[in-house]
Amino acid sequence: MAVTRPVLCPICGERVLKTGYCSGCSMNIDVARKAHNTSNYHYNIGYDKAVARDLSGAIESLKLSLRYNKKNVMTRNLLGLIYYEMGEAVEAISHFVMSVNYEPSNNLASRYLKELKKDPSRLDFVDQMTKKYNIALGYAESGDYDLAIIQLKNVLGENPHFVKGYLLLALIYIHSENYEKAGTTLRRVLKIDKANPQAIRYLREMGHTDENIMLMSKESIEDDGLLDDVYMEELTITAGGGLENEENDKSNIFKEFKKNKLDSTVKLGEYGEVSLARYSGAYVLLGLVIGILLLFFVIVPAQKKKIRSDNEELLKSYSEELATKNTTIAELNEQIAALNIKVEELEDKATMRNNSAPDYSNVKTGMSEDDIRDMIGNE
Amino acid sequence: MINFEEELKRFKPIPDVSQAEEAIYSNDLKDISDIVMQMTSDLRNAEMSSINRIQSRVRR
Repeated sequence: MAVTRPVLCPICGERVLKTGYCSGCSMNIDVARKAHNTSNYHYNIGYDKAVARDLSGAIESLKLSLRYNKKNVMTRNLLGLIYYEMGEAVEAISHFVMSVNYEPSNNLASRYLKELKKDPSRLDFVDQMTKKYNIALGYAESGDYDLAIIQLKNVLGENPHFVKGYLLLALIYIHSENYEKAGTTLRRVLKIDKANPQAIRYLREMGHTDENIMLMSKESIEDDGLLDDVYMEELTITAGGGLENEENDKSNIFKEFKKNKLDSTVKLGEYGEVSLARYSGAYVLLGLVIGILLLFFVIVPAQKKKIRSDNEELLKSYSEELATKNTTIAELNEQIAALNIKVEELEDKATMRNNSAPDYSNVKTGMSEDDIRDMIGNE
Repeated sequence: MINFEEELKRFKPIPDVSQAEEAIYSNDLKDISDIVMQMTSDLRNAEMSSINRIQSRVRR
């Protein structure tokens, strides 16, 4: 007889009644299933977008997926990963925590959280980055654009995937009519998030065509120099937040900073060129010493260990062979002894038979000695 | 043309690690099943209250 398994509610896990409603949460099972399927559908769209590096689009789809099923662990995990990739670690952690809360066992998010917990310095770093970004935002809101730029460049230098930081930096550059820098900054955004709507809108406002924007996202960002000159270019901007008010030289804190920076720069020419060829002999000697030390402390012990293990293996195999042969010899000895006993028995039997047998020495001719004598006389 | 002030308003401070707990609670959104369950319980409550009203009228 076939056993029918009870249908369980996908939301609360209670049994579903024959009416089609859950006994626990009173939810219609068809509605619940439909919601779960739709959630998975949007998760798949989000996943495809994430693979294609359309991170903003992926976030939209994944958020929609959560609207249909907030307990969709896969959606939570992917959303957390995307936020982490975009430099928003706290948002990522919150999604990982929720994911683990909904499914504590066999969940990828628990591994991510464990890795984050293992490295407290990483969390501290993330915290610092977040605080610096918030400070930069505060500077921008209060009109201290130069300080905001410095702070943002500092943040982006340490966290080069921080999309929100790039967008704020680009906005400040646009405001200061530094369109070239704004374009470079937005190109970096498009490298991380190919279809970031905010970046695309800024670029369109700057007069870029859609084709241009598409090409920009494919260009290399390796040597765009955006974060190289962290402080130098801001030196033309005044501390008061004015963009090109260079007349206020005395109140310009950046001029002082530049001066200090130049003073503290060590110039190689002043101390003469350092010839590396002079030390080539020492380098060779050092190399030799390192090589010998490596030989004695790494290679030789390893070889010794290998030889020892080989010998042990050989000894073991010989011992086994010897034991096998000893067993064989013992068996053969036993067989010999048994055969000897048999031979003795047979010899005894043969002797006994010889003693009891009649004398057939004259059977050859069938005649007695008198007959033979008579026959010889007749002849 | 980009209105800098308006655009700047769209940038919100990011919660730091100390505010993570708050972020977790704010992320606990309502999904469609929560809404349906809420509607069901509202309907039930309305039904119960109407039944109670009728019963009280009958008693009178």
